[in-house]
Amino acid sequence: MREQKIINILLASRDKTSMAAFKAGLEENQVQTAWAETGSNAIARLTEGNFDLVVTDENLGDMTGLEFIEKVISTKPMVNCAAVSSLLPADFHEASEGLGILMQLPVRPDQEQAEKLLRQLKNILNLTEQAAAD
Amino acid sequence: MKNGRIAVPSNGKGGLDATRSGHFGHCDVFTFIDVENGEIKKVSTIQNQEHVQGGCMVPVNLLASHNVKALVVGGIGMRPLMGFKQAGIDVYHDSQRTEIKPVVEDLIAGKLHQISDDQVCGGGGGGMNLK
Repeated sequence: MREQKIINILLASRDKTSMAAFKAGLEENQVQTAWAETGSNAIARLTEGNFDLVVTDENLGDMTGLEFIEKVISTKPMVNCAAVSSLLPADFHEASEGLGILMQLPVRPDQEQAEKLLRQLKNILNLTEQAAAD
Repeated sequence: MKNGRIAVPSNGKGGLDATRSGHFGHCDVFTFIDVENGEIKKVSTIQNQEHVQGGCMVPVNLLASHNVKALVVGGIGMRPLMGFKQAGIDVYHDSQRTEIKPVVEDLIAGKLHQISDDQVCGGGGGGMNLK
């Protein structure tokens, strides 16, 4: 039987309470989470660690979530990204085009959002693994 | 480019006489052109994989696993461009011509330019919209 891989996710937000339900939803599904409170701190964590996904809040204090993702993909493009955003989906798509963002999350994402994001992430990880094996 | 494998995202069945797909992530197939000593030695195709939102690294891994050295696109997002760079695949750009053959011939002759970071698609990168 194939061993289930632990998924590592970095959460970047200044406000732990706004992501508490979302974080709990991830951790109920064999996900290991780490926390960073600013963009620069999150970049440092990503450089040190091996993360499958980073989830960023809309504003990290020292940079916006989208500015943070631009920095992530310029150094670690293989890391998947999701972003909290209050923009309308069409506006978010326009603002984030080319950044390859897995999912837009609502402000104060909940457990259901966590499960939806995990399904999408697992799909991507499987496809990426298959492509590398082809 | 004297030696190596070129990949072109292609419409339909692909091949040297096919047309380039406007969006590499959504293309039907990739046409591979193997170059030896500046001459085309072999042309083949592979099926693209399913495209899902955020799945930019799927074609990066697919092409890297097939030893692609250069890719020709009409436009590309910042994340896949960085992924291809990290995988050691040079990304060339021609948004005007959709015919594969003349563009590949130009690449081999050294007449095609690599895409720069400020030419990526989309608002996020803040660059030209090349799609």
